[in-house]
Amino acid sequence: MDGIHDLGGMHGFGRIEREANEPVFHQPWEARAFAHEFVIGANIDEGRHAIERLDPVTYLSASYYARWQLAHERLLIEKGVVDAAEIEARIARLKAEEA
Amino acid sequence: MNEYRSHEPEIALRVKALEQLLVEKGLVEPAALDRLVDLYGTRIGPRNGARVVARAWTDAEFRTRLLADATAAVAELGYSGLQGEHVVAVENTARIHNVVVCTLCSCYPWPLLGLPPRWYKSPPYRSRVVREPRAVLAEFGLVVAPEVEIRVWDSSAEIRYLVVPMRPAGTEGLEAEALAALVTRDGMIGTAAV
Amino acid sequence: MLTADRVDGVVFAGAPSERSPGDRKPRFAVGEAVCTRNRHPRGHTRLPRYARGRVGVIWRIHGCHVFPDSNAMGGGEDPQFLYGVRFSAAELWGEDAEAPGDSLCLDLWEPYLERP
Repeated sequence: MDGIHDLGGMHGFGRIEREANEPVFHQPWEARAFAHEFVIGANIDEGRHAIERLDPVTYLSASYYARWQLAHERLLIEKGVVDAAEIEARIARLKAEEA
Repeated sequence: MNEYRSHEPEIALRVKALEQLLVEKGLVEPAALDRLVDLYGTRIGPRNGARVVARAWTDAEFRTRLLADATAAVAELGYSGLQGEHVVAVENTARIHNVVVCTLCSCYPWPLLGLPPRWYKSPPYRSRVVREPRAVLAEFGLVVAPEVEIRVWDSSAEIRYLVVPMRPAGTEGLEAEALAALVTRDGMIGTAAV
Repeated sequence: MLTADRVDGVVFAGAPSERSPGDRKPRFAVGEAVCTRNRHPRGHTRLPRYARGRVGVIWRIHGCHVFPDSNAMGGGEDPQFLYGVRFSAAELWGEDAEAPGDSLCLDLWEPYLERP
């Protein structure tokens, strides 16, 4: 796929930002999203391709583990394990509980 | 193109929602996820790779085995597993400096270095290091002499690369444990001298 | 279901991608020059755009490995010979190479390669 993920050699990205003493996970949700990768039920190549299929603006704007989360949602829906409505309903419920 | 809407403000909620569904559907139990977070968050990290490098510096026969079949050699020290099933060790010399990247995603030798830092996974690093490694390394504070060849390793398959830095001068008297403490994660990626 | 007691086993055993080649032999040899194909599949591939239609030299044969172009698309593992291929910076970046004598190595499956 000649997608946005194929970044090798692309011009324009500028300085490489580095963080001293960076934690492995910057937020608890990142750690959970990482762990979900092991149980999504996709092979590693399907997992990578799901991330590649994010639209280019989302791919470049989303944080690294946010890309994993979005890819996980898509894979579970494509594999028929959950449907989109179920995910949205659960998000809505959690939002209401937080409010 | 559709107007872009950032997912970040609600991302934690989305992750929580997905986890609840994964658990309810019997795909995983929460304690399994906790264990994964514990392993990769706290127990698997660059100290592993540093021990491999220190051993190579002090044991010539191990170094030979490491360069011939790194997967087997690092397994001797107990390092194996996901994203480290096919390891190749590449040594820095007076003539060659190695640096590793995954331009297509973020492939990285987890059993030896743990999970990668943000910069390794970032578009600036992934795009620039294959085209202008000298400028990138200079940004990291490492100037490579013109007569030294830079060899970039783009991890396009499941082969995972470990850079074996050159042993610093003046360390002849040090034991393996003290030597391991000198080896940095960036040295084993190739963005630092050691 | 992934239970907590199985996690360490999964993590430390890993999931090797190497497979038996059966009777097949690699098409290319160490030291041989190869050219990457000018392929632009819509699906998953691990041949980056910057390295298509470029000549490199094989430095290692890694064995037979699961082929992502197939495995990602529901086509099964379809293992193929995987080669370590080295390219000069001059070959990849032309007259704009930062240092023409530098090099870059990619791991590429046999379907990505042809004779120059």
